[in-house]
Amino acid sequence: MSFTSFTYIAFLVLLTVVYYCIPKRMQWMILLAASYVFYCSSGVRTVVYLLFTTVTVYAAGLLLGRLNAQRKALSDADKAGLQQRIRHRKKAVVAAACVLNFGMLFLLKYWDYTAGLLDRALGTALPRLDLLMPLGVSFFVFQSVGYVIDVYRGKQEPQRNLAKLALFTSFFPQIIQGPISRYHQLAPQLFARRSVDYEQLRAGIQLILWGFFKKLLIAERVGVVADTVYTSPSSYPGSILALGTLAYCIQLYCDFSGGIDITRGTAQMLGIEMTENFRRPLFAHSLADFWRRWHITLGSWMRDYVFYPLSLSRPFGRLGRWSRKHIKGKAGKILATSLATFVVYLLIGIWHGSSLKYIFFGFYNGIIITTSLLLEATFVSWRARLRMEEHSRAWSLFRIARTCVIVFIGRYITRAPRLLTGLAMLWNTVTDFQPAALLSDTVLSLGIGWTDYLIVALASAVLVAVEYAQERGVHIRQWLAARPPAVQFAAVLLPLLLLLFGTGGDYVPAQFIYAQF
Amino acid sequence: MTAKKWLVMFVAALAVTVAVWAGFNVATDPYGVFGDRLLDFYSYDMTRNPRVAKIAWLDEHHDAYDSYILGCSGSSSIPTEPLNEALDASFYNMIMYGADLLDLEQMADYLVENYEVKNLVVSLYVDNAVLYDVGEDSLDSRMHAKVSKKPLLPFYLDYLFLNPTYGIEKLKAYFTDTEMPQTFDVFDVETGAYDKRLRDVEPIGSLEEYVQREAYQVFTDYPEAQYGVYQTENCVKSLTAIRDLCEEHGINLIVVNNPCYVDYLRHFSSEGLAQFVHALSEVTPIWDFSYSSISYEPRYWYDATHFRNSVGEMMVDVITGGDSIYVPDGFGRYVTGDMPADSAYFEQDCSQPESAYTASVPVLMYHHLSDNGEDTSDIRTEVFRSHMEALKAAGYQTVSLEDLYNYVWYGTPLPEKPIAITFDDGYASNYELAYPILKELDMKAAIFVIGVSVGKDTYKDTDFAMTPHFSWEQANEMLASGLITVQTHTYDFHQWPPFEPEGSAVRENVLPLEGESEQSYIQAFSDDLSRARQELEQATGTRCYALAYPEGQSTLLSGAVAAQAGIQMTFGTVPQTSTLVKGLPQSLLNIPRYGIDDITAEELLQQLGG
Repeated sequence: MSFTSFTYIAFLVLLTVVYYCIPKRMQWMILLAASYVFYCSSGVRTVVYLLFTTVTVYAAGLLLGRLNAQRKALSDADKAGLQQRIRHRKKAVVAAACVLNFGMLFLLKYWDYTAGLLDRALGTALPRLDLLMPLGVSFFVFQSVGYVIDVYRGKQEPQRNLAKLALFTSFFPQIIQGPISRYHQLAPQLFARRSVDYEQLRAGIQLILWGFFKKLLIAERVGVVADTVYTSPSSYPGSILALGTLAYCIQLYCDFSGGIDITRGTAQMLGIEMTENFRRPLFAHSLADFWRRWHITLGSWMRDYVFYPLSLSRPFGRLGRWSRKHIKGKAGKILATSLATFVVYLLIGIWHGSSLKYIFFGFYNGIIITTSLLLEATFVSWRARLRMEEHSRAWSLFRIARTCVIVFIGRYITRAPRLLTGLAMLWNTVTDFQPAALLSDTVLSLGIGWTDYLIVALASAVLVAVEYAQERGVHIRQWLAARPPAVQFAAVLLPLLLLLFGTGGDYVPAQFIYAQF
Repeated sequence: MTAKKWLVMFVAALAVTVAVWAGFNVATDPYGVFGDRLLDFYSYDMTRNPRVAKIAWLDEHHDAYDSYILGCSGSSSIPTEPLNEALDASFYNMIMYGADLLDLEQMADYLVENYEVKNLVVSLYVDNAVLYDVGEDSLDSRMHAKVSKKPLLPFYLDYLFLNPTYGIEKLKAYFTDTEMPQTFDVFDVETGAYDKRLRDVEPIGSLEEYVQREAYQVFTDYPEAQYGVYQTENCVKSLTAIRDLCEEHGINLIVVNNPCYVDYLRHFSSEGLAQFVHALSEVTPIWDFSYSSISYEPRYWYDATHFRNSVGEMMVDVITGGDSIYVPDGFGRYVTGDMPADSAYFEQDCSQPESAYTASVPVLMYHHLSDNGEDTSDIRTEVFRSHMEALKAAGYQTVSLEDLYNYVWYGTPLPEKPIAITFDDGYASNYELAYPILKELDMKAAIFVIGVSVGKDTYKDTDFAMTPHFSWEQANEMLASGLITVQTHTYDFHQWPPFEPEGSAVRENVLPLEGESEQSYIQAFSDDLSRARQELEQATGTRCYALAYPEGQSTLLSGAVAAQAGIQMTFGTVPQTSTLVKGLPQSLLNIPRYGIDDITAEELLQQLGG
């Protein structure tokens, strides 16, 4: 059931009506039922993976909860020895939960690829699993493991009701492409008892419309261009390759953030507020800033569950002390942190899929971010020499442009079918640009017509304008609510008509890109 | 605005959107289910889904018809006109692509229930034995709910809430529509058949050249497959229902089994084919055209599975016993239920040698003659005489255009070594110098006259002197000899730029002018041809049916316009020998000609291949 299908809209309308009509204590059960209906609508067989994660995480939660309780109940006298034992047990439980779930993820997503690499390296003939990928597996595994770690850390009481935990792991709006929620933030909302809140309904519908706008009017169109260019990159000059990549950048943002808008809008219609996953990444000042604005929940998951534990771990502590002693200057101070950062970005790269290109993408981000940490002082001195104010518009524009270029280059790698193809395309873009091709008929041979380019241009302009206003602190929806009724009516009718007539064409609405990760 | 009010407004906006959506689909009506009142573009609707749009159209126009041809795409080639004449009926061709016998049964039911039906031609294809009741639920191939007797509401709702893309596509097509068929409007609304005006003027010559064209390469590497006649029982059931329906309502039922290309036929076992035909013939007698010499000749086929309209003409001729056109021996047999299943029929070799139904005829093209050769483009009288004498001596026998026409249309034999002599432009020298020689040697020739120049020695209404042209009187004198045919070289589509008013668009040949709209071109060219025809027929009392293209230039469109204007033979200037095929009128189009200038008789014979 795609978010952009009529089935989904009908499903959502029906669910909303039922949700607010039934007795409040049953509301969360409806959500659970809806979530499983939604999940099974894309295939029943893969639901076992979701159930596996739910059950293992549930069990781990209970065990950890019991151990936490035991530890609390210990008197000071028996603490020393016993505490040690409990700590070990807790570690064993959390490790088991991680091994089971990440192991499953590894088998599903990475085994076939790894086996291929090993076969080539060692000459073995390892079996391939060729498993059917369950929808959103990377998302629900991360979210569920996050819960286990929270319980382990004692931040979170375990959920004793399996059905309730099942709702947390399977909540339908987010299961395909996130956001990756935290238990303490999402769960209480899932189980709350609600009456109709018109404000929330309105906000939800508006968000969904905005998501459709991005996904159907922009992403679907530019996606055709990206697909055409990346299907036969050798037949185009550099400028067209760059156009295709730009199209992909726009597509990816509109597709992913549009999908998240629909997710959050859906949840909001049910009274549930989900974490933001995007904060206008176009205006990021640095690559690190970009990753704090793009797919925020993945980044913060990595920060909380990988970066901090890693940085605070004993080996990293030792490394930090050693480097401060033996390496002079800033490098010595931040070596350990940089290394941890590097690991995080490598993991983010690998999270996207099993391919050399994603590993490379991880390295690319890791290297640029660690280097920029090291060179921060140099940049500051340059700025001073250029007599630019830190908050001046020019400096900030320069930083935005710089970030865009870095992200743009990275997209060559992730969109290309293979790493080497991506690098070759990048090389051709630089060495064989042929700007005239941008004004030639080639542009119109990329799968969409000039009317589509026009629609993309206008819709993108609206998108950038809205995001710019938001960046400057304008609250678009409040601003809109203060307009005369006719304007508000137009603001609803116009997008609806645009969606009606501007959707479709020769291309069929595709899947959401992040559903594959 | 409060959130509650906003929600009410949102619902209102949704309602408006839904209304706009439905309104747009009714207005553009891409499938014609709502009567296509605004655009009246049924050829488009039928192309999308003939099953639905034809019913929608017939609901409005069934008074004009009393008989129907039912069948899958092949049946498009069964012509309505000769059927109308033979049966004193007015047929509508109800072809539906991919139709199986259940479709035909349902359609027959609907037609009889709702319209007046006198004759029903049910056209079968071997595919019917393989596919039956194929779940056709797509927008493009579903039956009208009125016909399939499915609930009407969901049917109309589907078309009411179509993706607007369909409507937008139709609007685009509407504004790029032309007189001639395009991929989006392949049907002739009036007859219900495919509009083959362009396909049927595609010139066809030698087999060798034919199968090299992209569209016909399939014949050199025909796909292989293996099919069984799995659905015979169901077909019998449906055909029985149709027969009973016809008996009950006193309707004349004609069942034909369409021609099938031999390599396709070989996808089936001969036992299977015989069993299929036999089982159906037990229900009602069948005209079986599936296997004959036609099955072996790619030029009788539009593609791997669809026979040409001219083959359909032959079928009707056989069925109606017309004997009015060429039909190859053994084409069509009447199978009745008392005849045993005959698998040997499908095992015999029906192929014919090419010489049995094709002829190679060189055609020569001359222009002006002069005694002393003062003009460079001329040929001297003595040289012309030497040509004629040499041809005669080499055993060539001249044929008239009529002879060529009769060969193709009626299979009338040609002499052993035929050759055709033609002259372009209608110069007086043809009458004064060439005609006496031809008469003396008893040789036939054809002259293509430029209508506006007949009998003139100055250019049109100007004083510009030009080579003199013979008059209608002189033409009639030549015609009276029975040796000469006078046909057209257009009325005024062979203009001479230096003599035309400066700055005016000059028509040197029949190609459209630069930037000329299709419509005005068609108008201009057909006006020219009808004037040429009218004057020629009036002045000579002979039929005008042949056209030599000025400069040998033409397009498919000009061919279609000429055909519409009654031109059945056209000549080009490609120097090669023409190939005529019996029963294939396209082989009379763009007949290649050797342009002959002042060469020796030996050189001429050499050019003709000895």
